[in-house]
This record gives sequence, structure tokens and C-alpha cells, in this order.
Amino acid sequence: MNGLELITDKQWSVGYLFNSQHPFFNISVHTITNTWIVLGIILVLALATRWALARNGIVRYLYLSFTRFFLDLYNQSFTSFSMTHFCFIASIFIFILLCNIISIIPWTEEPTTDLNTTLSLGIIAFIYTQIAGIKAEGLWSYIKSYFSPFFIMMPLNVVGKLASVISISFRLFGNIFGGAIISKLWIQQAISGSLLLELFGILSGINLILTLFFGVFEGFLQAFVFTMLTLTYLSLAVQGEGGH
Amino acid sequence: MTEITGLAHYLTVAFAVGLPAVGVGIGQGWTSTAALDAIDRQPSAKSDIVKVAIFGMALIETAAVMGAFVSMLILYNNWDTPPSYYASLSTIGIAAAISIPGFVLGLVSAMPARAACFTVARQPFFTQKILRFMVLTLSLIQTPVIFGFIVSLIISSQAQEVTTMRDCLRLIASGISIGLGSVGPAIGLGLFARSVCLGLGINRRAYDKIFSFTLISQAIIETPIIFALVISVMLLFVVPPLAEENLIDGIALLSAGLCAGFGTIGAGISSGRTAAAAGTRIAHTPETYSLLAQTSMFAQGLIEASAIYPMIIAFALLFLR
Repeated sequence: MNGLELITDKQWSVGYLFNSQHPFFNISVHTITNTWIVLGIILVLALATRWALARNGIVRYLYLSFTRFFLDLYNQSFTSFSMTHFCFIASIFIFILLCNIISIIPWTEEPTTDLNTTLSLGIIAFIYTQIAGIKAEGLWSYIKSYFSPFFIMMPLNVVGKLASVISISFRLFGNIFGGAIISKLWIQQAISGSLLLELFGILSGINLILTLFFGVFEGFLQAFVFTMLTLTYLSLAVQGEGGH
Repeated sequence: MTEITGLAHYLTVAFAVGLPAVGVGIGQGWTSTAALDAIDRQPSAKSDIVKVAIFGMALIETAAVMGAFVSMLILYNNWDTPPSYYASLSTIGIAAAISIPGFVLGLVSAMPARAACFTVARQPFFTQKILRFMVLTLSLIQTPVIFGFIVSLIISSQAQEVTTMRDCLRLIASGISIGLGSVGPAIGLGLFARSVCLGLGINRRAYDKIFSFTLISQAIIETPIIFALVISVMLLFVVPPLAEENLIDGIALLSAGLCAGFGTIGAGISSGRTAAAAGTRIAHTPETYSLLAQTSMFAQGLIEASAIYPMIIAFALLFLR
């Protein structure tokens, strides 16, 4: 058992199709498989909810309270309702939440422990925000916003926008990866080999507490933070700095 | 030789997680004290205060989790083969890059969490917005520890190929630049976040004004960290590694890192205090928002000019010798 096992996972290279050995063309098998599992769970949940919505009161209640939670969150930042923005924010939240808590199913790993996943989520949110800003305010005032408050602030504005992408994705990656390593190392390495310690870990509930804290609670919190920051950047881009 | 190698290696492992854990522990203690005080002040808002305090403490934890991750990375990276002399000395840079921001961030992120607990005690019917505001300010404060985390990942990937003392000093300088450089702005961000979180308790009708002022001001206070990050990224990628030994060159690079790191401390703290004062005044008199915001941004621009001079000298030390 080695801690590196989490870091170096299996890679499929598709670069040989066009004679390239560059790591850009490698596909990380673990990440792709786990992401597909997450997407499958989301699809099944969505279809099941749609089927049960007219039949079961409890499902309807849960569905309505989840939607209301998001509607409150949305209405606190936006003055007008837009279905596109609302669906974007809610789907980001659902996807990241399921990605973070997927490890409570045996034999799975969180796809967010791969930097590629979180960085692409950050880039998606960034590009969506910029396009929404251009649509809302026009191309000219979007370009002009880079030169505010003074002309010489332009490089700092550009670096600041890029730093927001990096910090939002590395925050998610670092927290989830750190939590996964801590709970996995504790369970796999620190107490393995000694039957007494393993029994102690299982019976005293420390294993369960570690998994619940780092898997479920931290996963929910980080998904919430990512969604909140995206929502704030989006509302700033759409309605300007004074439009709250 | 091997003793020094082991000492540097394992001390780095210990410091990368130890110092952030100290800071985070003290910060969480302050937060829970503040939550108990707030419950004492307003017992009927108990569940709201507990909710805000738990969210705050879980976010403060970020620094310790990142530190633990980095120290495990260093520990298991070289598990099979013992690291070489220069590679293990270079990991001191990792310790500087993650432990100093982690320690300061652990202490500083307690400020908005404490303020939010007291604010909920004053305005119990406003909890949703206060919680949202606290999560936002607290996660924006923690940008320095994420920069330190990125720099330490890059240093640990480059440390394997280091063969000279000069390159070893280059990596240490990069870590010191981002580590020391995030101390002052982090304290400034904490002071500012505390004052605006308390301001919500003074006057909740000023929420919209305070919110937009917070986003602009935090971006301006964070600017010195970006200066330090630029210097440390330059040290990592733009300054080329040399095959032959050149100790004087390495000492110059180390001085560049120290120069960029120390230069941001005063600018960060005073920029944060300026914005904090403006935030409190906006909470008292929201109608003077535009005048106060303009004055504060102008003053912050003047203050941060003093962080630009060390950066110019650091550039000169890197390239114009």
C-alpha cells in the first residue's frame, strides 16, 4: 500500500492514432469511470423523481424544498429571474455534490480528486459568466470594464480574473483531495495490519466519522462554496457592480 | 550529509502541517468562544448562531487540510528512494509556502466568523444573508493559502531535478516569496472582513452597498499577493536552471524572494485597515456610499504603490544584474 496510489492512476493513451506521445492525449480511466457513474446516478435520480412526482408526497416535498432552497439563493443575488442561469447554477451544484460524496459507495473514488475535473468546472463557469456578461451589457462595455477604474489597471484586471478561476478550482480540488487522502490513509495504512486497531477503528466509529465528515459534510460545504462563488461572479457580470 | 538531508526532509513534513494546525486550532477556539458569547447575548437565536459557527469552523479547517495534504505528498513522494541533498533542502521552500500562509490564515479567518456570530445575535431574522456573506468573505480570504498550495505543488515537482545549490536557493526563494508575501494582505483581508460583517449587524439596510463594496475592496487588498505570486512564478519558470554551481547568483535570487515577500506586509495591512474603516462608515451612513468608496479606493491605490517598489527591485535582482 502506498499513498502514491491515489495520485498515479491508470492512463489510456489515444495519441498513437495521430503519432503523438504527448500527455495531453491521455485519458484518466478512474476519473472517466467515476464521472460516468455520477452522471448515471443523476440520470436515474432525475427520471425516478419525474416518475414519482405525481405519485408520492414525500418525493414531492423533497423536490419542492430543494427547488425552494435554490430559488431563495438565486433571488438573493439577482433582481430578475432567468431560467437559463438558474438551471446552470443548480446543475453545477448537483453535479459537484454527487461527485464529492460518491465515495460512500464502495469501490468508487471522487472524480473531484482529479485536478482535470475541477479545473474544467472552473473554466466552464468562467466562460459561461463571461458570455452572460457580454450578452447582458454588450461587447463594448465588457471590454471597457477591463480598463476600469484606470487605464493602467488592465493587466491586474486580467490577472485577477484568471486568478479567480485558479483559486475556485484549486479550492475544490485541495479540500476534496486532502479529505480523501486523510480518510483513505487512516483506513488503509495507519490501522491496517493490526487486527486490534482495525477493530477499534470500526467499533468506535472513528472510520465512520472520518468518512462522514470528509465525505459528506466537507463535500456539501465545498459544493456550496463553489456554487456561491459562481453565482456571485455571474450576478456581478450580468447586472454590474451596483445592481444588487 | 545524510543527517542534514533527513533533518530538512522530515522537519519540512512536520512544519507543513504543524504550523497551520496551530493557527487553525486557535482560530476555531476563538470562533466557538464567540458563538457561546453570542448565544449568551441572544439565547433565542441559538440554532442560527450554531449553524453560522459550524459553517465558519469548517471553512477555517481548509488551511489545515491543505497542509496535511502537502506534508503527506512530501512524505510519500520519496518513500522508496531517499531524496538527494539538494532536493531535500529545496523542500524548505515548500514548508515556507504552505506553513506561513496556513498559520496566518487560520488565525485571520476566525475574525469574520466571530463577527458573523455576533451579527446573527443582533439581527436574528437576517441569518440567511449573513451566512451567505460570511461564506463568501471567508472563502475569498483563503485565496493566499491556495496560492501557497499551488506553488508548493510546483516546487515539489521541480525539486527532483535540482543538482546545484543555486537552484535549491531558487526554489526556497520562490516559497518564501509567496509565504511571506501573503502575511500582510491576509491580515488586511481579515480586518476588512470583520468590519463589514459587524457592519451588517449595525445596519442591515446597507446590505447591498456593503456587498458590492466588499467584492471590489477584497480584490484590491489581494493585489499585493498577486505581486508576490508573480515573483514566485517567475522564479519557478522564467529564471532558467543552471547546470554549473553559482552561489552568488542563488543568493541574489533568495534576496529577490525575500524582497518581494517583505514588501507586501505593510501595504497589505494598511490597505485592509483603510477599507475596514470605510466599510464601517458605509454601514453607519449608506447614503455617502459613492464618496466613501471612491476615497477608500484612491487611498488603497496610493498605499499599494509602496508594494510596487519592492517588486521592481525584485525584478531587477532577477533579471538586470
